[in-house]
Amino acid sequence: MAKLLYLRDVGPSEVGGFGISNADDLLLVEDIQLVEQVCSVVSVEFDDDSVADFFDQQVDMGRQPEQFARIWIHTHPGASPSPSGTDEETFERCFGGVNWAVMHIIAVEGNTYTRARFNVGPGTERRLRSRVEFDFEFPAADHEAWFIEYCDNVTVDDPFTSRRPFAESYDLDWWEQTPSAADRWSDSLLEAVS
Amino acid sequence: MKVLLISNDAGGYAHHVEAPDNTTVQQMFERHVGTFHADSYLIRVNRQPAAADQPLRDGDRVSFTPLKIEGAI
Repeated sequence: MAKLLYLRDVGPSEVGGFGISNADDLLLVEDIQLVEQVCSVVSVEFDDDSVADFFDQQVDMGRQPEQFARIWIHTHPGASPSPSGTDEETFERCFGGVNWAVMHIIAVEGNTYTRARFNVGPGTERRLRSRVEFDFEFPAADHEAWFIEYCDNVTVDDPFTSRRPFAESYDLDWWEQTPSAADRWSDSLLEAVS
Repeated sequence: MKVLLISNDAGGYAHHVEAPDNTTVQQMFERHVGTFHADSYLIRVNRQPAAADQPLRDGDRVSFTPLKIEGAI
């Protein structure tokens, strides 16, 4: 959960990935893995080749698809995690042929939406309540590794500039707040004192 | 021959499957996924894009992965 929150907040756009499930409890998500994607403030689009590479890598690590390709996670700006028409279309088209799948959306303001669909038998869908499971061990936060993963995979599509990897915008220090009037006043005061 | 099939469809595949010699990509798809609708999947053989009529060889790795996973508000 910490990684998901970090990835949600580190950049200026939506972001998405696949949940990596516990082998013995497929609804227990232990990690989120990004694939290469183009994101804007209001959209996320996975790169098809990167999705295929992700499948190959996960299989090489000994995982089955039900562990790495069934829980689709992405973020929404603002307060609403409700799936859009695009989200629903993707969930139907890309996950409608699997036995089961989960769509999880977390909005910037913290609200979440989780829904499972079961495509076997008569088929059904069910809203799930997501929660952090503290009873299991989990690795320590690793902001540096998470940041590198973000930079390696996310290209921000800013309509006012050309598309660029996040790493390029990083140099622009976009996230740093401009100094407030109080900061400037404080700096001026220090200069005056010295 | 045996090929490593990777697909998320149905229960999911990530294991070796037996196939007759000269099985094509399309035949493999239809056998394990269903009606061939290549526009919904990225189909790769040995991590490279493959044509529907490409014959498979023993030891090949075949993957069917979803296309255009996208979200928006």
